[in-house]
Amino acid sequence: MSRSNLFLLVLIAGVAALPLFGEAYALRLGTIACMYAILALSWNVVGGLAGYPSFATAAFFGLGAYIAGVLLARGMPLAGAIPIAGIDSFLVAALLGAALLRLRGHYFAIASLSLIEVFRELVNNATDLTGGGMGLNIPLAASAGVMADATFFFYVMWGLLLATAVMVMAVSLSKLGFGLSCIRQNETAANMVGLNTTLYKSIAFGLSACFVGGAGGVYAAWVHYIDPSDVFDILYSVKPIVMALIGGLGSPLGVTIGAFVYLGLEEVVWRNYIQIHSGVLGVIIVLLLLFLPHGLMSVRVRQWWRRTKNV
Amino acid sequence: MLAAQILINALVLGCLYACIAIGFSLVWGVLNVINLIHGSFIVLGAYLAWSLYQGFHISPWYALVIAAPLFFVLGYVIQRVILNRVITAPVLVTLTMTFGLDLILNNAMIYYFKADYRKLSLTPPMGSVSIFDVVVPIDRLVATVAALALTGVLYLILRRLRVGRAIVAVRLDRDAAVLMGVDVNSIYAIAFGLGAALAGCAGVLMALIFPISPLTSTAYLGKAFVVCVLGGLGSVSGALAGGLLLALIEGVGSAMFGPAHATTLSFALLIVFLILRPQGLLGRKGFE
Amino acid sequence: MMARSLPRYARLSRSLVVAAALALSASAALAQDVIKFGAPLPLTGPLAPEAIKQQQGYDLWAEQVNKAGGISVGGKKYKVEIVYSDYQSNTPRAVQTTEQMITQNGVNFMFSPFGSGAAKAASSVSERYKMPTIASTASSAQVYDQGYKYLFGTFTPNDTLTTPLTKIVKAKAPNVKKVAILARNDLFPLAIAQEMEKSAKENGFEVVYFEKYAIGTLDHSATLSQIKTQAPQWIFVTGYINDLLLVRKQMSDQQIKADVVSMIAGPAYQEFIDAAGPSGENITSAAWWHPAAQYNGKDIFGTTANYVKLFREKFKSDPDYAQASASVSGALFQMAIEKAGTLDKEKVREALAATDVMTFWGPVRFGPTGQINSLEPPVFQLQGGKAVVLSPDIIKQGEFKLGVN
Repeated sequence: MSRSNLFLLVLIAGVAALPLFGEAYALRLGTIACMYAILALSWNVVGGLAGYPSFATAAFFGLGAYIAGVLLARGMPLAGAIPIAGIDSFLVAALLGAALLRLRGHYFAIASLSLIEVFRELVNNATDLTGGGMGLNIPLAASAGVMADATFFFYVMWGLLLATAVMVMAVSLSKLGFGLSCIRQNETAANMVGLNTTLYKSIAFGLSACFVGGAGGVYAAWVHYIDPSDVFDILYSVKPIVMALIGGLGSPLGVTIGAFVYLGLEEVVWRNYIQIHSGVLGVIIVLLLLFLPHGLMSVRVRQWWRRTKNV
Repeated sequence: MLAAQILINALVLGCLYACIAIGFSLVWGVLNVINLIHGSFIVLGAYLAWSLYQGFHISPWYALVIAAPLFFVLGYVIQRVILNRVITAPVLVTLTMTFGLDLILNNAMIYYFKADYRKLSLTPPMGSVSIFDVVVPIDRLVATVAALALTGVLYLILRRLRVGRAIVAVRLDRDAAVLMGVDVNSIYAIAFGLGAALAGCAGVLMALIFPISPLTSTAYLGKAFVVCVLGGLGSVSGALAGGLLLALIEGVGSAMFGPAHATTLSFALLIVFLILRPQGLLGRKGFE
Repeated sequence: MMARSLPRYARLSRSLVVAAALALSASAALAQDVIKFGAPLPLTGPLAPEAIKQQQGYDLWAEQVNKAGGISVGGKKYKVEIVYSDYQSNTPRAVQTTEQMITQNGVNFMFSPFGSGAAKAASSVSERYKMPTIASTASSAQVYDQGYKYLFGTFTPNDTLTTPLTKIVKAKAPNVKKVAILARNDLFPLAIAQEMEKSAKENGFEVVYFEKYAIGTLDHSATLSQIKTQAPQWIFVTGYINDLLLVRKQMSDQQIKADVVSMIAGPAYQEFIDAAGPSGENITSAAWWHPAAQYNGKDIFGTTANYVKLFREKFKSDPDYAQASASVSGALFQMAIEKAGTLDKEKVREALAATDVMTFWGPVRFGPTGQINSLEPPVFQLQGGKAVVLSPDIIKQGEFKLGVN
């Protein structure tokens, strides 16, 4: 195991200690931090490792949220609903991936972006199942009090983050990760030496959707109410990319740090610039791309980044 | 009769869609950049028309003449100062960059104009004409003619002017164009400026038809996406074909399946087109 | 972490240092006797225009209370402070903000975020923290049927808008047989369209068209052409100001005429009347309140006329139902707190549940779900560029007119 992966596990383990110190609001932020890290790490599998500019994160986040939401509303326990949301997202993404990942560059970006639109409208129009534009209400599970609830959902999201990190590491150490790197560097060549690129890409797309879908499911259970324009928000697709760019593409540790840094920025900007926070966010994105194109990790630990990228 | 009416509606709306998409298509084709500011440019153009009409009683037709150079300069500067620095980076970076720029412009508009919906209502209103029970609103008709004229002007620029030939040359083969002595960076800036000018003019025309608010920018952007993919990139005729096809799909789709499904249908079709015919209806093959 | 009020803040924005200083001064203010009300608002994003109205309503109430010395609790006067925050028209952010206000800003009581969707989402937080909350803009029964004890609402259910409208059309326009309904696929507009369909059928109308359009639809021409072929005498459209303006414009474009055209919720707003101009003539609508109402309330504002007068003095415009509802929500909290004689959340909740009082907003009693059930919302029509109340009889201003061209 590389040093950066070890650091990642230490970092995640450190986050788990949050409930020892924080009160409910800190736990809420912690839960969001874990969620962001899940989205960013998952995106990194297809965007960072395989080099496909995917904007589909929001599509699978929403899909997972609705699958879990519908199941929970019908009385299924969380322990059943979340895995089902994850597995379904995996299957849907892998199947779609086989078709969509034949596209390259801009065309793939647009197609993945359109998935959000299609899923949202499908959910919107399946009013009987999903409540459509009226949203879906997920009943409060018998509550053991505010702090107990907050701690519970924090740990569920944290557990999912840990699983995502383990998945990402397993991928990068396995033949799959090697194959994806080959695809990023030269797909035609990878194909010619006998790599089944379609299969590799589909699995990667599926894996990147799986935990995002799970996170969507946890999110639905956590906020108790979802509606299509909230969970299929294009920002869920853009944010993980910005996080990955902040941290440095390709490195799981960098991406996770990027997610935490991003949440910090978002929180500071939102608290302090009531009228102009999205503009300030835009400025941050632009400055980041202009002056720090390889992310925070490139500032001091450039070598690690190179090594992990080429694993 | 309903069929005829729906066809006419689609024809008029299709030209408007083409007008929305054409600048976006130009930028994508030439610079290889998916320009997410496009929608906000259109809204800014609409606000320009609205302010000129409310404040100085300048009719939208003259506003077109004012908008074109203004937006050209705006686009030129944005490309030269910011976008050009990342122009060789992968699509992920350029796309995220335009997303950031769009956040800034859109937030600035919300801050300055507020999110309230405005309406540019000509006094007296233009009304509509009817031929055999088929009704066509005159303002849409006029906007359609203006949109066609704009596309015509762009077509002439690309065909007849020296700079236009250079733009086409860069679009077809960047490296060859460099070898032929074309200054690619300045062509990029001019093309982006043209794209912005087309967006600004489209905005002026849309102000006649749709309520104006910064919040509508994503709707315009979404239409531009679909039109470009359906029609094919970077060509004037492709944008027209894509616009007409989209309007037809939406019209027929909403009549057959209900209006709620029209958007789903158009985006599903977009994905199908991307997979089966990525070059679009009229596009050339071999584009990435 | 920081308690701050928006107007003060807006002036001093853009500086972290100043914000920190502000936090200090705000915590110093805590030493005084202040009751804090949390009001998460969608100050940016699609709902921004609505947030301004809410804010005006809350501000007017807070100003009046503080001018009168404050809320008296067990013989002691407490000033009112409203803590605002922006949730960017994003529901999860609204939930997050609500929790932030309760746990970080230490608010005593909450107002719900805007609209039924966000109010419903945030109500689960209020319920968890046992925080009495008044929703001033949530009408859908689905918001209140979750069995929550701490949520109260000042809007009657949606059918109280559609039923009186249907009754009037049935009585005054005997030629109307066929109804076409077009609804925005969104919580409130869709819910109200479904109520409309129900009450139309109950009253013997034939619903010849019922469709939803997607949020952000740019063109309704195909839909309207289809409606035109059905030749309905009554066209009923739901949506927000922008949707309704576009639909109205395209109706003129397509030369669609009908005996009755009803739109909810646009015509209740002055912006709609201004932007629609002459094309708004004879459009009917219904809302929960109208400035022409004449109630003699026991609340801090007293009569409806007095409320309108105070509002005009402060904001130089007429209040609509959204602003009035925000104000009355504050006034209801005030009366409940004074009656309970304590700031204890449980006691105040009980006092709220037992509310039975006349206000400038109308008679207020909350049903078992927490939703108000004592109001009779007015039906009105745009005549000569002004809204004229048609019912209920006690506040009637004019007669129903046929024909929208």
